[in-house]
Amino acid sequence: MASRILLVEDDERIRTSMRLSLEDEGYDVEETESGEDALEAHARSLVGQSFDLIVVDIMLPGMDGFAACRELRKVSSVPIIMVTALTDTAHIVAGLEAGADDYVTKPFEPKELAARIRALLRRARTTDDGPVSLVFGDLEILPEAGEVRKEGQEVHLTRTEFLLLCELAANAGKVLSREQLLERVWSYDYFGDGRLVDVHVRRLRTKVENDPSDPRHVLTVRGLGYKLAP
Amino acid sequence: MIRGGTRGPDEGAAVRADDAPHVSHGAGEAAPSLPRGRTRRHLGLAARVTTTFALGALVLSGTLASITYFSVRSSLINQEETSLAHEAVATAEALQGQSEAGQSVVFALAEINGNAASILEQAGQWYPSSQSVQESSVPAGLRSLVLNNHLGEQLVDLAGKPVLIVGVPFRAAGGPVAYFQLFDMSEVAGTLRTLLGALVLASVVTTLGGAVVGRWGARRALRPLRETAQAALSIAGGQLDTRLASDAYSDLAVLTSAFNKMADRLQERIERDARFTSDVNHELRSPLTTVATALSVLEGRRAELPERAAQALDLLSAEVRRFRRLVDDLLEISRLDAGLGDVNAEEVTLGPLMKYTLAAARYQGIIDIPASVGERRVLVDKLRFERVLANLIENADRYAGGPVRVAAEADGAWARIAVEDRGPGVPAEERERIFDRFSRGASGRRRGAGDGTGLGLAIVAEHARLLGGRVWVEPNGSRGARFVVELPVQPPVGPESDEPAAGSAAAQPPSAKSAVPLKSPTHGRRPSTAPAAPSTGASRVVQPPGAVTTAEPPASEP
Repeated sequence: MASRILLVEDDERIRTSMRLSLEDEGYDVEETESGEDALEAHARSLVGQSFDLIVVDIMLPGMDGFAACRELRKVSSVPIIMVTALTDTAHIVAGLEAGADDYVTKPFEPKELAARIRALLRRARTTDDGPVSLVFGDLEILPEAGEVRKEGQEVHLTRTEFLLLCELAANAGKVLSREQLLERVWSYDYFGDGRLVDVHVRRLRTKVENDPSDPRHVLTVRGLGYKLAP
Repeated sequence: MIRGGTRGPDEGAAVRADDAPHVSHGAGEAAPSLPRGRTRRHLGLAARVTTTFALGALVLSGTLASITYFSVRSSLINQEETSLAHEAVATAEALQGQSEAGQSVVFALAEINGNAASILEQAGQWYPSSQSVQESSVPAGLRSLVLNNHLGEQLVDLAGKPVLIVGVPFRAAGGPVAYFQLFDMSEVAGTLRTLLGALVLASVVTTLGGAVVGRWGARRALRPLRETAQAALSIAGGQLDTRLASDAYSDLAVLTSAFNKMADRLQERIERDARFTSDVNHELRSPLTTVATALSVLEGRRAELPERAAQALDLLSAEVRRFRRLVDDLLEISRLDAGLGDVNAEEVTLGPLMKYTLAAARYQGIIDIPASVGERRVLVDKLRFERVLANLIENADRYAGGPVRVAAEADGAWARIAVEDRGPGVPAEERERIFDRFSRGASGRRRGAGDGTGLGLAIVAEHARLLGGRVWVEPNGSRGARFVVELPVQPPVGPESDEPAAGSAAAQPPSAKSAVPLKSPTHGRRPSTAPAAPSTGASRVVQPPGAVTTAEPPASEP
């Protein structure tokens, strides 16, 4: 069955062209033109077939893409790709902080967007055949169940955060470079944006660390990358 | 220093007093005797004020010390001389008295004189009172003066000791007598030496004090200037909201307010430019997104199109691709101009960075990276680095039949990456211009290669500058061109940042900016670190014949 994609874009022509392009890639696309509509469509979809991925333009009238991301994140861990015309760091980091898993900048190469979507969807279906449970102090990771528990309480992670944690856990104690994490979690090549890793590590810390500013589990190894402390 | 019987003005003191202004004059001349222009050019304002204060203090204290010394000296010696002369005269009178009483002067001398060192001459015969006194101790001038019946005295140096000889003539039985008494002046001389030492010390201290006060005053006076310079640097470094406190120095209010006004206008202008760029950015990107996306749909269905339509589609695709690149390049350049391009700097290893970059650019020629160079760490924005290298590869592809060799070498704090081709080369007169916007050089005017934007090398130069380096082109041996990018190699960094890479912009965009300082886009030439060897072309010595200097290297890398 075709993956369902929710497309949120206010510019009608861009939206239509994107829909045509994505449909040609074999996806089932639903269009909305505002953040409010997107939330509504997402809520509606929960009854039937929910969306596998959401593509959100950041510059939307009314509720902007950041706000839409934040609202969606409150109720769902669905992969989100943000589309933005701005490339400055502050803007991109804000989008990632709001909960986007990845981003493309306009005018994007349609093939690039398709590749990003494929990577996120493929990842969402990946089933880990690693150990059933990994324990790191007060943190318990259940790769197969897709669950993380902290002091016995379930922690809600997005798919990206979860995979990031699993990747670090699978290499516990070893340092993974940003490039390695980009490749394994986002399917990026060497030139992926390291900010993706940094922002997601920060978000992950706010969920699994007692004090995110003084992390005990997800540690920074300066100049090299990140590692999970056993 | 022979003095007449009547005590006149103290010659010694007079001469020395003359000396005093001499000494200080000499010191005063010491500095001006340096080549004047050189002093002016090389000494900073603070140093000059300090020197002036020190010299002033030296002249003043030197003069005062000299005057003090010589007046004390003259009064001390006069006093001593007067009392010693009296003593000698008294002794002579006693001797005369004895002689009148019928005693031989020579015996009387032995009797009266006790321990005093004296000698008398009578009728050409010398009679010393003790062995330590000799005829030769008395200078001839003094002797003849006394023999001519004048009272005389002279300060002489006997065996290293200052001795005052007072000569008194008197008459005695057996002929006129010249009586000389010798007085040891060591004590007075010692006192004077101590005084001199104290005065010299005082002068030195005063001079140093003058220097300190001068330095302090100069620093204080220059502080507003320093603050202004810092503010200007900070603005140049991208902190556009830097202002001077307007009430700090009331007498510099004009300067402060003028500076702030300038900064206001500059900020306004840059922000307006930035807004405009951002607007243009958005306005161009949206339609392009639609065009590119719609075109991709058509490309996906090319097989379904009639032959002629497919041909038209190919043309459209190629031109849209080129148009996109042009827009991308233009936007990139305008963002660079507006200082908006934040540097997402990371510390990476040069070898893998180059290999990945070259693979991404589909480069298949020789890669020559010595292991020692490949291991070096560089602080770069990977995407900018990729742009630089990719643009150079593309440039060689387009105008020189493709690159043949990419090499890296390291020289101290710099890594140099060279992209070499065997094309027609770049004529010397075009080596700087080639990095200008839309300048393609003679060979580049052939538009056959098609989708060049004319901005590639300009972007390379801008990025190299933002990465703290520069780029230039030189001949590649006898044939072809060699584009060299020079980048700073990163020294090991401290452990204070949260992110794995040194200047990750994700955490603190401003810190990323400061990691690789953004310089104003002037194309100033920086003193080349390259050895000034004749460019034989074949040698590996990097000597940019027409180097396009893109940036001054950061004064101090973090």
